[in-house]
Order: sequence, then C-alpha cells, then structure tokens
Amino acid sequence: MTLVKEAPVRPAGKRSAAPAAGRRGRRRENLAGYLFMSPWIAGFLLLTAGPMIASLYYAFTSYNLFTPPQWVGLDNFTTMFQDPRWQKSVEVTLKYVVVATPLKLLLALGVALLLAQKRRGQGLYRAAFYMPSLIGASVSVGFVWRALFSDDAVVDRTQKIFGVDVGGWIGNPDYVLYSLVALSIWQFGAPMVIFLAGLKQVPQELYEAAEVDGAGPLRRFWNITLPMISPVLFFNVLLESIHAFQVFGSAYVVSDTRCGPADATLVYTCYLYQKGFKEAQMGFASAMAWTLVIAVALVTAVLFWSQKKWVHYEEAAK
Amino acid sequence: MGTSRNVERRTILKVAGASAATIGLGATTACGGDSGSGDGTVTLRYAWWGGEPRTIAIKKSIALFEKKYPKIKIKPEFTDYEAFWEKFQTQASGGNPPDVFQNAVGFLRKYDKRGVLMDLKSQADAGNLSLENFRNGVLANGQVDGKQIGIPVGANTMALVIDLKAFKKAGVEAKFGWTWDEYFDALQTIQDKLKIAGDTGYFSIMYLYDLYLRQNGKAFFTDSDLGFTEDDLTQWWEDGYKRVRSGLVADPKKIEQVKPKSGLSAGLAASEFTWDNFSIRYEGEGESDYGLAPIPTTDGKETGQYLGSLMMSAFSGTKHPKEVAQFISFMVHDPEVGKIMGYDRGILATTEQYDAFKPTDANNKGVAAYEDEVAKAGVLGKITPHPSGADVIEAAFLRIGGEVAQGKTKPADAAKALFSEAKAAFAG
Repeated sequence: MTLVKEAPVRPAGKRSAAPAAGRRGRRRENLAGYLFMSPWIAGFLLLTAGPMIASLYYAFTSYNLFTPPQWVGLDNFTTMFQDPRWQKSVEVTLKYVVVATPLKLLLALGVALLLAQKRRGQGLYRAAFYMPSLIGASVSVGFVWRALFSDDAVVDRTQKIFGVDVGGWIGNPDYVLYSLVALSIWQFGAPMVIFLAGLKQVPQELYEAAEVDGAGPLRRFWNITLPMISPVLFFNVLLESIHAFQVFGSAYVVSDTRCGPADATLVYTCYLYQKGFKEAQMGFASAMAWTLVIAVALVTAVLFWSQKKWVHYEEAAK
Repeated sequence: MGTSRNVERRTILKVAGASAATIGLGATTACGGDSGSGDGTVTLRYAWWGGEPRTIAIKKSIALFEKKYPKIKIKPEFTDYEAFWEKFQTQASGGNPPDVFQNAVGFLRKYDKRGVLMDLKSQADAGNLSLENFRNGVLANGQVDGKQIGIPVGANTMALVIDLKAFKKAGVEAKFGWTWDEYFDALQTIQDKLKIAGDTGYFSIMYLYDLYLRQNGKAFFTDSDLGFTEDDLTQWWEDGYKRVRSGLVADPKKIEQVKPKSGLSAGLAASEFTWDNFSIRYEGEGESDYGLAPIPTTDGKETGQYLGSLMMSAFSGTKHPKEVAQFISFMVHDPEVGKIMGYDRGILATTEQYDAFKPTDANNKGVAAYEDEVAKAGVLGKITPHPSGADVIEAAFLRIGGEVAQGKTKPADAAKALFSEAKAAFAG
C-alpha cells in the first residue's frame, strides 16, 4: 500500500533523500527478516526439499543403500502395481480413510455442538475432550490400545456382557483395523476445536429468525448450522483425509511392528517403511512415497472441485 | 517499523549470531564420531540386541575389560532384535556402524557382500585374537568363503520346549528319536485329555522347517537359493493348517495377542519349538515347569540339528582394528566373562568359558544337558552361512505362515508368495 502512495510524490529524474532512506530501511528490514528465517530456510532446504528431490530420483532407481543407485526407469512403479502386498496396503489404507475420517468428524462435530452451548465448567470440558489429541500420537498410547483390545481385556470382556465374543480384536485379522479406527476417532480434539470456532461464527439472528418461522432444532441444524459451517467442515474433511492417508505410528505399534496379523493393518506407510528400512529397497520405497503424494494430491483436487457443490461461502463477507 | 538504525543493526547481528550458533551446534554433533583422544585412549562402539539380563551382564563384562585395558573404552549401544537390524542397516550404509557388534548366521553373507565385515584372520595372525579352544567346531559358524567374519560367543540348537506338568498329566513322554507321527499323536492325547492345544504354531518357524528338510536330505537354503520346492512347502503348510483347524495347534488369534509372551508360557499350548537357550525365559514368564525335549524325526534317528550361534563381528572400516580384536578375544575367552554371561547367548563357545561357568539352576543345567545329549547322539550337521537376503525371507516365512494359520491365504498361494518374495530378497 505504501508503495503505491509514494510513487506519485517522487519527482521525476530526481530522487529525494527521504524515500531513499526508506528503501534502505526496508532493505535492512527485509534482510533482518531473511536472517531470522534462515535457520528455517536452511532446515527446509537440507531436511525437506533436498531429501524430496533425492527421493524423486531414487524412485527411478534400484537402491539398496550400499551400492550406488542404478537407473531402472519405471521398473519400481510397474513392480509396485503388480505387487499383491502393495495392492493389499492400498486396500487397507482406503478402508481406513473411508471409515475413520467420517466417523471422527461426526464425533468431533457432535461434541462441538454440545460444547458450543454455554454452561458451567465449559473450559474444563473442552480441555478434557481435546486432551487425547495431544497424547494420541505417542507410542505409549499404542501400547495401551493393544492392551485394551486384546483377548480377555477390557473391550473383550465388555463385549461378552452383550453376548459378542470375538476373542480380542488385536489377533483377529477381521477386526484389528477397527481398533486403529477407534484410536483415530478417540483423537477428535483438533477438528472439534475448529468446529467450535466455526459454530461461534454463525450469527444468532439467523436462529432467532428461524425460530420465529417455526423451525425445530433439527431443521435449524440442517438449514442454518451446516451450511454456515460448511467452509470449516470442508477444511476438516481435507485435513483429516490427508492425515488418515499418512497413518503409521498406531498401525506400527498396535500390531507389534509387523502390521499384521495376516497384513490386516498393513497401511500404506507401514509397507513403505518395511520396504525401505527392513528390506533396504529404497528405490521401491521412494516410488511408493511419490505415488502416495500424487494420490493425496488427487484426492485434495477432487475435494476442492467438489466444494463448489456443497461449501457455502457468505457472499457479503467483509 | 519505527525502530532506529542502531537497533536494526543489532537485530541483524543477533540473528546472524543465532544462525551461526545453530550451525555450530550441528558441527559439534557431527564431531561425536571421533573415537581417539590426546592421551592415547581409544573408544570403541559395541552394539548388541537382547533383553535386560543380557545388557546387565555385558556391561559388567565391559567394566572388567576396561579395567584390564585402561587405554580402551567401550561405548555400549543396545536395542531389541528388530530395532537393532534396522538401525544397523542405516548406520552401515552411512559408513558409521559400531566397531564391534553382535551378529548371527542369517546376516553374515548379507553384510560380507556389502563390505561391512572385517576378516578377523589377519588380527588372529597378528596375535591380537585367539581362534583356539572353540567347542564342537562352532568357530566354523563365523566363516564365509574362507574368511573369519564372526567369532561365536555361544552355541545353541533348536529344541522342543514342553510344559512338563501338561505332558505328565496327559501321560505322554517325549523320547529321543521319536517320529513326527508320534509327536502329533502325543499332541492329540494332550488335546483329548487336557482340552488345550499341543503346539503353539510350529509351521511358521523357518529354522524348524529347515530341520525337517534336513531330515529329508534337503535344507532351507543352498549357498544362493532356497533348497526346497513350492510343492514341499505347500504340503508343510497344508498339514499345519489342518492341525490348526482341528485344534491340535493353538488358535493363532490368541497366540498373536499374548505377544511378547510366548503361547507356551501363556498356557495356550503344551509345547513350542524354539532355540534351547530361549527356554530359560519361560520359567519366569509362565506358571508351569518347562523342560527341553528332542526334535521329532522322520526316520527315528536324524534330527537335522546343528549348532547355531550368536557371534561378535567387527566393522571392516574401524580405525582401531587391533583394539577391536583384543576386545573380542577377551569377551569370548576370558573365564570371568563366561561366569558373568552364563548361557544367555547359548552354551559358552570356548573351553575356557565353558569350564569356568558351572550352572547351578535347573534351567541352565537343563540346557547344558540337552546340548550334551544332542552332541553325543552324533546327529549334529554342519551349519551353512545363509545367502544374502535370508533375514528378509525369515520374516516373510513367519508372516506368510501366519496368514495360512489365520485362514487368510491358501497354502498353495502362500508357497507361491514366499517363492516370489524370496526371489526379490535374493536380488536385493
């Protein structure tokens, strides 16, 4: 803004001292800014951008870490698409994303709606519901989960009261993935907080007007709340889907580092890790990583495209 | 911004200082690998895998060594088995593996091929390491293509660990020279009388299948390939799955959930095939009494057994080959170390250590008696260093065997999958 204002004041062909000093000042300011950023920039170049470029190159090579990488063209990708374990990992991951993401968001929204109402001890409730998200990614929670869902443990015993006996989820290939889903749902705190912020932005007048028109709570939710928070919902869907595609820690710990039994929790990143760090097939692992990047980008693109149809942005927003 | 020039300059200087400090910090970390010092003291990194008792014993042994060789310091690094090899692979590929480390037969060819392992013969010739007094020819376990790349610290062999109370209650006896049919009959009796499974899941254990193949004139590995056919394995897994379904072998879903405890000590089955020195842990884990029983045979005589061992290997690029050799020699020969270590890594490999350690508890005595008996029976075969990729195949065998047990993969498809994964592993 200041640039536009300054320009016409400057006499043609002759520079006044004041703007020159201003420019020098700005340049210093910029320099200070860059210097402040330099540790981050160095870190980004060395630890993120560099390895990414390297991994893009490795994706087209056969590389076992010890001998120099050998260019193999698209071999890694063709082997990958034909590999039954890779196919299984895609299947497991999609199942996880499709089941875990909506359930987590549903719970987050439900709890956010409850917590949006004014009541005593509101802060405490919010903190309590947010807490699992802070510790959820830790390895110890993975162990706790393993203990909870094992044979004859809490979940199993509770189920038996209702006459359901599966003998523990962890050892059962048909159930174990759902224990991971449960772990993901349990950490609904982050999307909940975002929903809460969204709910607070909905103008009360709308509800009052609807009430006057005789709309019930369900109708108010459907016709006012949901459209009004749809940008926030979109943001949460996007973020949580991306997260779900990258699930690793819980699968690795709950299934005792083997992503099983019978590859039942072989999520994409788990197979990638096995290929890279256990079997030392870094080329293959890199190809897998880039395929994931492309897949997630595609999903994101589809979501962005779809938002025109269901996300409601206020035209008159200031 | 409204700040004076001086402040700005100071800001810039501060930022520059902070950045420089960050870089400096990185440089300091990078220097951590230096292992020499001004006063001639040498520091060696020694890495192993194993549980807490092993770590305590090894640390005691290290203290003894440092006392005897004050100019050599040992920096210990230890994790569990899985983490050990993942970390080692990364360290080795970066040219920074530990100077000395624990090793096993499945990894010798792999890391020899990649130039990581030191041929310790030259150090033996130089008098820094003694290759004398190894029992029952176990020294050969560390030899590949005429090179000595591993020095055995202990010897062990596969055994059948049984729940003594269960076997007694069912009235079945584990005899030397019994056949597989007799073994499965015994399991049937146990199931009928005690209503528990007989075995924890024998058919996913690569080393047991190796014994079965050896009993039939084959072996799991040749020098560079698998030593059996897809049909052999299909048959093995078909029989195994049949026994899971009939309840002779424990429900894999239950076995999976008691980990890291074993199915045997959790009371899910009455017997389990494993390495004989592992049996020591069951006593602490389970509530019954446990003993070692012979491997079933095909012909009533040959068990296919051999003495395997854990070893110590050295990094080919170490800056201190002499000190490394002295340390290994001390750890495998010193009688005091033998007394401290006991049979944690198998029956002590050298006569000095074997004679020095006299087991007092029933478990250690049992392991010693078992190996004596096996050695006397004259059935011990020779171990062959596994081809590169064996570690990946062992993991695949366990995993795919588990899929068969869970009924998720048909035996024929499973065998096909293993062969396909083995091909990739050998090529890697």
